Amino acid sequence: MALKWFQQPGRRACVVGLDGVPHTMLTRLMADGVMPNLARIAAASVVRSMTVSLPEISSVSWTTFMTGRNPGTHGIYGFTDLHEGSYRLRFPSFRDVRCDTIWDILGREKMRSVVVNQPATYPARPIHGALVSGFVAVHLDKAVFPARHLRAAREMDYRIDIDAGEVRGDTPRLYRRLHELLDSRRRMVDHLWEAEKWNLMEIVVTGTDRLHHFQFDAWEDAGHPHHGDFLDYYRAVDAFIGEIHTRFVDGGDAENFFVLSDHGFCRTRHEVYPNAVLAKAGYLRLSPADATDLEAIAESSRAFALDPARIYVHRRGRFPRGSVADADADAVKAELRELFLGLEHEGQPVVRHVFDGAEVYDGPEAGNAPDLLVVPHDGFDFKGRVTTRDIVGERRLQGMHTWDDAFFLAGRTDLVEADDADFRLQAVPHVILRSLGLDA
Amino acid sequence: MKGFTLWFTGLSGAGKSTLARMVEEALLERGMAVEVLDGDEVRENLSKGLGFSKEDRDTNIRRIGYVCRLLSRNGVVAIAAAISPYRAVRDEVRSQIERFVEVYVECPLEVLTERDVKGLYKKALAGEIRNFTGVSDPYEPPENPEVVVNSATESPEESLSKILTTLEVLGYVPRIEGTDYSPEEEEAVKKRLSDLGYI
Repeated sequence: MALKWFQQPGRRACVVGLDGVPHTMLTRLMADGVMPNLARIAAASVVRSMTVSLPEISSVSWTTFMTGRNPGTHGIYGFTDLHEGSYRLRFPSFRDVRCDTIWDILGREKMRSVVVNQPATYPARPIHGALVSGFVAVHLDKAVFPARHLRAAREMDYRIDIDAGEVRGDTPRLYRRLHELLDSRRRMVDHLWEAEKWNLMEIVVTGTDRLHHFQFDAWEDAGHPHHGDFLDYYRAVDAFIGEIHTRFVDGGDAENFFVLSDHGFCRTRHEVYPNAVLAKAGYLRLSPADATDLEAIAESSRAFALDPARIYVHRRGRFPRGSVADADADAVKAELRELFLGLEHEGQPVVRHVFDGAEVYDGPEAGNAPDLLVVPHDGFDFKGRVTTRDIVGERRLQGMHTWDDAFFLAGRTDLVEADDADFRLQAVPHVILRSLGLDA
Repeated sequence: MKGFTLWFTGLSGAGKSTLARMVEEALLERGMAVEVLDGDEVRENLSKGLGFSKEDRDTNIRRIGYVCRLLSRNGVVAIAAAISPYRAVRDEVRSQIERFVEVYVECPLEVLTERDVKGLYKKALAGEIRNFTGVSDPYEPPENPEVVVNSATESPEESLSKILTTLEVLGYVPRIEGTDYSPEEEEAVKKRLSDLGYI
């Protein structure tokens, strides 16, 4: 690991991440004049819709972005996983990432990266450059590398995230906190832009995802009392992007400017609980029956789910109380696929697609993959908890992630095929590395 | 594993020796050969007779650095816990040791004065001790330490965790899986995920 402070001017690239911003929303915001800076940048760029890795949650998507690998290689399958040999939930961290990041690759070429608010990078680890971890970072002093930026972070009142518990039910406060968060991000960018030599500058705005979770109705409904607030937040994000772009262009390498989202978003209509689906169909049994976590799974269980819709066959040898022999696993998978594909609510199909883990993932970590991945129709938000007995419940939040409808904007139009119908998030870091002159 | 030098710097009473011993214990548990060079002990033997002028302080640090270099290149983890107030001589030692990790143990003077475990700050402030770092002698904090810990705001365990994390990431010590989050952090992570509907 290189910890010497090289000074390598060389090529530069700048990446702005907009967490959870759908391609369709972005297109409308640009067309309606809410995001004039981004519209101006997009006019000289390729902007395209893309799918992301599965499951479509930020920790998985951003790790796919930062490594250019799918979870079968990088090893992150969700915000939660099980401790080995146990049913106790664990929370994978940056240390669980099993392959190089693009910052590691650049570091080996003595190219420096500055990364601000990258989700799924806590605790921050040394990179050749500077890293400020994003969600789910807890303590600032473990979220900032190198430590010499910690004092500045404290003095500028840098915020990692909003307190989602604090703003629930207090919409004016939500908007106030989101703007404060964006201002805090701006202060950190100002600081690191000047304090560090860099080849890659990456900044992720996560307030967009929080806004969508709490206020997606305000986007879809022009008569919503907070519709204007919603658009104002995007105006502020656009101003931030405009500042970054202007600054970057002034430093040269103007075309190496990229913007992306890590997943799409849509309005939530209902929550759906896959463990309740499995329990009702006799695949999952807890003992006692009113248990609230998977540690109570009975040996007779043949399947269970982890958030959001990762389905695991309860295999013998893989799980401590697993009961399904490997020889029977394919048959159980086939049954489960039918079970989920057949799910309906008020006459509407709930599930759009069921992927086989073996078809989605490859790599040395694929053995830890879920057996099936359920992709719902828009509006049905899957939740992996086991505390709910009903299959469908009321929504707690207004917006949910989608696997498709993420976007990628590339100033380097020569590096992205305009008509690639199957463009995926996993390809993005390779484009960025190529823009910096590296084979990827 | 190869040897390396872990160099603690900071004001008297900040917690350098405490952390050095905690890291020593943690690394011994991981099967590594470890030697601690504690500033107070070194002044009783290797640097006996040296005073607290800048010249003597620099000589003391060069001697500790020399021993660390010998130990490190022979596969031992050398842990130095010395005030080492002057940046230039610390950087000189760094330049001579291939695998060098500097830990700045931060603690505000007012907290140290309050804490005053050895009763030295009271005497120094009363003018009874001359050349006392932080009171009547300068301390130059490191500009590029690999780790900063703050004994006024962190528990020793939190500081230890930060140090070990950095050493693991650098590949200097073997990883122990499943130790990413403290119990308090795990609760905070759970709450964040729950508030956003993920769990």
